[in-house]
Amino acid sequence: MKKNIYIIICFLVCWTTACKKLDVPPINIIQDKDVFTSTGGIQAYMARIYSELPIEDFRYSPQRGLNFFWIISPFPAVTGEALSRDQNGAMQENVGESPWGDCYKLIRDANYFIENMPKYASTYTPAQVNSWLGEARFIRALTYFALVKRYGGVPIVDKVLEYPTANIDDLNIARASEEAVYDFVAADLDFAYANLSESNQAGRANRYAAAAFKSRAMLYAGSIAKYNTTTLSDGAGNRVCGIPSSKAVTYFKAAYDAALLVAPKYSLYKKVWAAGDKEAQFQNYVNMFYDESSNENIFVKQYHYPESVHGYDAYNVPRQLMGGNGYSSAVNPTLNYVELFDGLPKNADGTLRTTTSGKYDLYTNTMDLFANAEPRLRATVILPGDQFKGQSIEIRRGIYTGSSAGGISPILAPGSTSNYPTANIVQSSNANQTPYKLPDGTTMNPAGLSGVFTGDGTCAISGFSIRKYLVPDKPTSEVLENRSDQTWIEMRYAEVLLNRAEAAYELNALGQNDKDYLQDAFLDINQIRERAGATLLAGPGDLSNVNVVRKERRKELGFENKIWWDMRRWRTADTEQNSTIYRVLMPFYSANDKKYFFDARTDERNVRYTFDVRWYYEEIPNGEIQKSQKLIQNPGY
Amino acid sequence: MKKILYTIAVCAIALGGSSCKKLDNYEEPQETLTGSVIDAGTGKTLQTENGGGGTRIKLLEISWSDNPTPFYIASMQDGTFNYTKLFAGKNKISAEGAFVPLVQTDGSGATTVDKSQTVDIKGTTTVNFSVDPLLRVEWVGEPVLNADGTVSASFKITRGTSDPAFQNDITDVHLFLNSNKFVGNNNYDNRYSPQTDFSGSSANAQLGQTITLTTKGGPLPTKRDYFVRIGARTNYGLKYYNYTDVKTISVP
Repeated sequence: MKKNIYIIICFLVCWTTACKKLDVPPINIIQDKDVFTSTGGIQAYMARIYSELPIEDFRYSPQRGLNFFWIISPFPAVTGEALSRDQNGAMQENVGESPWGDCYKLIRDANYFIENMPKYASTYTPAQVNSWLGEARFIRALTYFALVKRYGGVPIVDKVLEYPTANIDDLNIARASEEAVYDFVAADLDFAYANLSESNQAGRANRYAAAAFKSRAMLYAGSIAKYNTTTLSDGAGNRVCGIPSSKAVTYFKAAYDAALLVAPKYSLYKKVWAAGDKEAQFQNYVNMFYDESSNENIFVKQYHYPESVHGYDAYNVPRQLMGGNGYSSAVNPTLNYVELFDGLPKNADGTLRTTTSGKYDLYTNTMDLFANAEPRLRATVILPGDQFKGQSIEIRRGIYTGSSAGGISPILAPGSTSNYPTANIVQSSNANQTPYKLPDGTTMNPAGLSGVFTGDGTCAISGFSIRKYLVPDKPTSEVLENRSDQTWIEMRYAEVLLNRAEAAYELNALGQNDKDYLQDAFLDINQIRERAGATLLAGPGDLSNVNVVRKERRKELGFENKIWWDMRRWRTADTEQNSTIYRVLMPFYSANDKKYFFDARTDERNVRYTFDVRWYYEEIPNGEIQKSQKLIQNPGY
Repeated sequence: MKKILYTIAVCAIALGGSSCKKLDNYEEPQETLTGSVIDAGTGKTLQTENGGGGTRIKLLEISWSDNPTPFYIASMQDGTFNYTKLFAGKNKISAEGAFVPLVQTDGSGATTVDKSQTVDIKGTTTVNFSVDPLLRVEWVGEPVLNADGTVSASFKITRGTSDPAFQNDITDVHLFLNSNKFVGNNNYDNRYSPQTDFSGSSANAQLGQTITLTTKGGPLPTKRDYFVRIGARTNYGLKYYNYTDVKTISVP
């Protein structure tokens, strides 16, 4: 009997549980309501879309695309800022690593947020909701800007596309005009500026970041309107490549006005800066890149070991401080870049002076040549013999053993691209050096500890090494791939000032006089120069041509992966890189003089850079073109 | 019994095997398109370079779509082209290169000039284009070997078009030298090939004048043949080069 009761109970238990409906949302899949109803969920959503922003940071190279750890064909070695053993000429971005597809995924994520977030608005205050919507628009704007600066006009998708859909033609979207895409970017950033909060977590945008990026995007648009000569229109009359030149003033004004919005909140970093003190100015400039509380950082991308890392230090550290992976010196600044700076002895044509009346100038130490160099140069580039991580970075091409009576004549004829002769020069092919016995009986390695070696490219092949962004106190045991985690500063106030100065200069050049634009450009440039410890401009008259403004940009933003885009929008890349060999500075030790001399010459590897005019508009990946009949290729591909 | 089984098995395998053969019922493409791009002023083919920076023929196959993806055929460096693996079909054909564009559009995207040719490609189809080059680069005499082992070449540059919209400033002039006959901006020995860059309109005074360029980088290595040609370009569009034909010079 008892048994029967148990059976009935069991039966009933089974029966009632079966009443439970099985149509429940799967608990292992996160739903919209889980994400959008809590600030934590929204933060997680934001974290992912921010991490996919197409910005060219420590994990970018044109060869391998965005977000890739290996950066041994570094971006500065494509622009002429630097030489690298793995980069043998000019290039456009590798079309196989094109960010096209990933950008549209990110745009979809932003659009999804914009469409679905308001459904849950009642959970939050209106200010919160608006700020988040502004953030999504900010991300969408940056993504479209990444596309338009590469390809010109691209299809504008401003809503979530449904697939499968009733009408497949709705997914077939033609390219908008280049002008329309820039206007779309501007509209999104205007919305972001109006709605974003005054401040935000580090790594996320506030309203000033939106204004700063608008100044950058509009400056690009204005430059293209003014300097572009390529035209491509589709059948419907959309000019997908090129912007009418009549729009130049509009865009430059927009860039200028956006830059003004940033000024009240941010300023140049000058925490340990002191007037007239070159050492303090140098230290200040170095510190700027590592100070998380810097009042110059407008928009940054943070890294943190071990979850989110890069390898900038490992690839770029000078040879004598090489880490365990065996990489070093991937970025070696060219002499062309170093010559842009003040405080160096110069010839009449602006090149570095290394000889006097046909004989080499002699120096006791290699740093003597740079004794008066602008502090910003020292903070950007490791000069031969300068201090880094407590060591003197020794860069020497070889020992000159020839006679020094009456001075040493240049080893090679001016302009020669030949290799150095082996007579009278002792050199070393790699870091395993055989010391050379000097006339006084002491011994010395032919090459410096950081190069230059004739057969091994892991050295300062240009005679210089990079300092910017290398962490000054990182122990060599930690100089490893995927071990660095310094913050990437994507937008800093110095760029906003330079955008403002360039826009102001161009407005003045285009005859705009509703304001004294030239005076404004002059003050902006001098702010940058003062902080850098450079020679100040005497007055607005010194802004005699646009190259003054552009040179300042190259010096200030060098090695920050910005210059290539500038050379493209100025449309100067093809004249700058037309079978061009970049120049290097080779220090030699003269055994008989016991002194150093410098030979300025063209890159001994004879690497030529030629920028193809087609590259002003990059090739759209063929896979994308095959997906859509309406997508037309850029000219020449 | 066993015999029947074997027979059935053999039949099954034979049938199964033969059914594997597929007949692809579409013929492989075998129509030929050939022709030249000819300088309207001189009647000669227009010299160009191999590869992406040279003349190319653009085919739009309109027999099945109004909006086809273009198909490009690269021209040979002497300005002729020959492609033997095309499908039969109706094509709208034009060319792109260092000449006044055959298809031009105005600011609103409307086509203003359209000299493309609509052709049914079948068998061997010949299409010639008569174009106005942006620049006409012509030899003046033969390249000479100098006593110091360098090579000098004289040439003159004239405008190939009278339309001022395409008379942009000349940006650079190159003497290209190479050790094989494929020579041009994409393929030259940069140790010896000299180049002259011009800024603004400074080169325009040299139009029609005889210009001489001499190889740089010291004497050329001896006992071999070199191939030289002159290239020049203007600041128009993608800045294609116009070339002379290739001349050979022997360095004993």
